[in-house]
Amino acid sequence: MNVNFNKRDPLYEQVVRHFKEEIAAGTLVPGQEVPSRRELANQLKINPNTAQRAYKEMEEQGLIYTESNSPSKLTKDQSILGAVQDELLEEAVSSFVTAIRPIRVPFDKIIGLIKEKYAVEEKEEKND
Amino acid sequence: MIEVKGLTKKFGRKKVLKGISFTANKGEITCIIGINGVGKTTILNAIMNLTPVNSGEVLIDGEKISKTSYEKITFIPDTMTMLPGFRIEQAMQFMQDFYQTWNQKRADELLGFFKLEKTDKISALSKGNTAKVNLLLGLALDVDYLLMDEPFSGIDIFSREQITAVFTSHLIENRGVIITTHEINDIEHLIDKVVLIDEGIVLREFNAEQVREEEGKSVVDVMREVFQP
Repeated sequence: MNVNFNKRDPLYEQVVRHFKEEIAAGTLVPGQEVPSRRELANQLKINPNTAQRAYKEMEEQGLIYTESNSPSKLTKDQSILGAVQDELLEEAVSSFVTAIRPIRVPFDKIIGLIKEKYAVEEKEEKND
Repeated sequence: MIEVKGLTKKFGRKKVLKGISFTANKGEITCIIGINGVGKTTILNAIMNLTPVNSGEVLIDGEKISKTSYEKITFIPDTMTMLPGFRIEQAMQFMQDFYQTWNQKRADELLGFFKLEKTDKISALSKGNTAKVNLLLGLALDVDYLLMDEPFSGIDIFSREQITAVFTSHLIENRGVIITTHEINDIEHLIDKVVLIDEGIVLREFNAEQVREEEGKSVVDVMREVFQP
């Protein structure tokens, strides 16, 4: 696992976000076991206490659950999993809108550009 | 917890430590950062009672260091302290003879991890492998606290990666670690706590994640503020 973390945002938040992206993308499936705190720290090359904190946060958000003495697993609750995708989408769109507003481009032009860009990226992904 | 309280130390007329105080917790990695010659190694030597100090004290779990403390805390220096004529296996035997906490199973595991041959002669090791042998000899002791002096300096990138991997592994788990360094860049995400030192005083002591969370700053950002105001 190779993730680029930035050095200014809290690391545990970046780890949670990394998991959310994998959930939204479907790389992680409902009920799947997640690595132990130590394995995660090792894979991501981060401090184990931070990995622990990220898991605590995810547990509080209901993203993972732990039954006594067994490894933590990703939740099977579809409403929580669905909300993750909505949350990431909402975030991305609002930062996009904030970035695009000052340029004052007609709405239709933006939509057209998005469609074009989307098609190109999809094609590139298939070629990979 | 290791508590360093008001350490002062003179070499001749030169004051090297001018009242150093900080704490390092068990289960955390504390990083002492400062440029060369500000007294980082002297602090570690003072914690280990390897050099006399002029005033101040060091407490390990509330107790002053004594001859039994060396089964509880160990120092991994940045120079080889074993006889150059030793092979790695003889160095391990030496440790076993002198320390009750020596854990041969862990030492063997580390040999494999660092890809070292136990029949290799210490004097013939590269700089990177010398550092790894030093780490091996320290980490194979079942002690609660580890002090490491510049574990990354002058080490090639792949050896660095191996050493970094140690920090996220069970080899460090639940232990208290103090490392000194002057290059923080690729270990920012590994450390819990930072102690910035210059000219023999502590300029700032902070938790890395807390500074990211509350101030949106990286460790290097804080270093810039503190060292180059």
